[in-house]
Amino acid sequence: MRQWFRIAFPRTHLDRRKRAGFLFVLPALLFFGSVFILPLVQSVIYSFYKISPGGSREFVGLRLYEKVLTDTTFWTAVWNTVQLLLFSVPVTVVLALAVALGLNRITNLRWRNLWSSMYFLPFATSLVAAALIWQWIYDPVYGFLNYALSYVGIPPQRWLQSLDQVRPALAAIGVWVRIGFDTMIFLAALQSIPQEYYEAANMDGASAVQRLRYITLPLLNAQIIMVCILELIFNFKIFDQVYATTQGGPAGASQTIISLLYDTAFKYFRLGDASVMAVFVFVTLMAVTLLQWRIFRKPVVY
Amino acid sequence: MKRREWWMVVMLSAVMVAVTFPGASFAQQKKLVLWTHWDQNPEFNKWYAEKGKEFAKKSGYEVEVVTIPYQGYDAKYLAAFMAKNSAPDMFMGMTHHWCGQYDFCDKMPADLAKIYDDNLPKYMSEVGKWKGARYGIPIEHGNFQQMYINVDMFKKAGLDPDNPPKTMTDFLAAVKKLTIADAKGGDPTQVGFAIRSKGAPVGITDKFLPFAHAFGARMLSPDLDRATGYANSPQMVAALTYFGDLVNKDKVASLAFGNPEDAFGQKRAAIIFRESWFFGWLKKNAPDVNFKVYALPCEKACPGAGALFPWTDLVYKNSPNKQVAWEFMRFISNPKDDMEHHQIQGILPVWTANLESPYVKSRPDYQSTRDMLAQPVPPTYFHPKSNELATAFGEAVVGVLFGKGQPKQLLDEAAVKMDRILKD
Repeated sequence: MRQWFRIAFPRTHLDRRKRAGFLFVLPALLFFGSVFILPLVQSVIYSFYKISPGGSREFVGLRLYEKVLTDTTFWTAVWNTVQLLLFSVPVTVVLALAVALGLNRITNLRWRNLWSSMYFLPFATSLVAAALIWQWIYDPVYGFLNYALSYVGIPPQRWLQSLDQVRPALAAIGVWVRIGFDTMIFLAALQSIPQEYYEAANMDGASAVQRLRYITLPLLNAQIIMVCILELIFNFKIFDQVYATTQGGPAGASQTIISLLYDTAFKYFRLGDASVMAVFVFVTLMAVTLLQWRIFRKPVVY
Repeated sequence: MKRREWWMVVMLSAVMVAVTFPGASFAQQKKLVLWTHWDQNPEFNKWYAEKGKEFAKKSGYEVEVVTIPYQGYDAKYLAAFMAKNSAPDMFMGMTHHWCGQYDFCDKMPADLAKIYDDNLPKYMSEVGKWKGARYGIPIEHGNFQQMYINVDMFKKAGLDPDNPPKTMTDFLAAVKKLTIADAKGGDPTQVGFAIRSKGAPVGITDKFLPFAHAFGARMLSPDLDRATGYANSPQMVAALTYFGDLVNKDKVASLAFGNPEDAFGQKRAAIIFRESWFFGWLKKNAPDVNFKVYALPCEKACPGAGALFPWTDLVYKNSPNKQVAWEFMRFISNPKDDMEHHQIQGILPVWTANLESPYVKSRPDYQSTRDMLAQPVPPTYFHPKSNELATAFGEAVVGVLFGKGQPKQLLDEAAVKMDRILKD
């Protein structure tokens, strides 16, 4: 309390510095608090209430948890999300790493920047706009993809209108959008690896694969974990491209947990049920992230 | 704090206030805001703003029309109504939804309600009402599906376009003749029937219901309190089997064709079931399509003039301008404006006085509309949770179309889910 008082009414130079620091972080704190923490707390509270459209609430304890967690639609949405994630995360991370390694080999700065920008452009594109373009690419009748495939004798596919292909097709959009961002992280990390390690390895007669295996990958460990976590979070929360392309169809094959949450909250106004889903997403992501962090993060010192 | 720092804080605060409350304290514009999600009918929407200019001369209030994209419109409406300060004064919606499930509508003044009760066609008298009280103004006569056929395709297939299929059995025979299979075994290059398979399941339910009603089925009990025994009745199973077979067995409809209106407009589909607005849409977007409109085919029963989405114009209960909004509604509530408003978009007018007008008589759906209205009124589902119920039901319909399961099994599951929604 005394500390806060001294920040509010500084007497010394040190107090003023503390206040300046506090004022600098205050906007971020306010933003984070109002946009993330407050809704999160509110979601947890709402998950114990049945809320009527008029605004009245009835405390129902864990009944909504029981209702949502025994609903097959909910688990289908979870499974769809997990499948999307399994298609998307490994492909994005591996491809981004491969692209970053390739870009890192380009010595001409201008060319490297040009290629980097090209890979990054999809990330800067609105997800909804990108999804609409991909919707056209995937169109079974007029789509570019089927047109291109016809040249190699592959019959037209239904892509977003197929129960089996819709998830990989949506995952491909995610990969296309995210690869640039992940590449930039890997590229920055690659450029910070001292060249001396590679020179020493060369002198020891290490092959390219060995250099990758014993120098590059261990030193990128922190970035790989971070990218994996970011991808996991991004894909678990996937909504925009689903909403813009399939709206969860066909026949619920691409209904993800967030799109179900959206429908539950804003189409059917079951805020309590939707809050249970939100809590589920938060707890799951938190658990998986912590687990991933604990298991895979290893400090590397040479 | 130094003086310069204080100035910074003051300036920042001023900027934040300006950003947070744009316009509120800087300008007082007198206007009524109307939200609509009828994005396929831009001229119809624009008319409100045009009429608003006339209204402004006597009231000082203009009308601003905001078109909300149909996809996800309900979430945007709901968010605005909950937030109150960003909500419109008037909006388009379903009365049982916004006034029944929610309590966002202002009751129509009694004198205006009487005008509508006296001037609407009989079958529309309940549209716009909730628990006997009138809230909304129905905006589309002919808001029920009819059968649009491509005359040239009929002739090419050796069918008589003046003698359309009258039963579902005839319909199946006709669409088989109208379908042109792909030589390589892929999706047909031309289909007999433009089926709705994409988008929200609630819309797919809407397009399936005429089939269900033709087979003598109904989605909910007459009191709208039970789904089991209705949504999964033998008649419903037969209807859904027929509907699914159009795609999976008879292959006269294709899931690859996307939007059914586009397929019909692009002459890739010979028959489509749509409402009266589709005449105007075709005139504007596919003027070279030579079409005729007929009443829907019957089977055990006739589908009749029914709608899952009885659209109305409503006034927001918490609007500070709701009195003026009703004045505007009153201002446009006359046969002349009704005619002008609907004719501009090629939609059937609402007022009884206009149903025998030269414009209506000249429309290709004049006789078919009369034929549809002559059929018994089909079941209606004006339940506050109709969207959620129709979504659960639509999941079964779309599941059958995509071969996810058998009609009986999927309808049984849907019925259980719908009963749970009804009880919740």
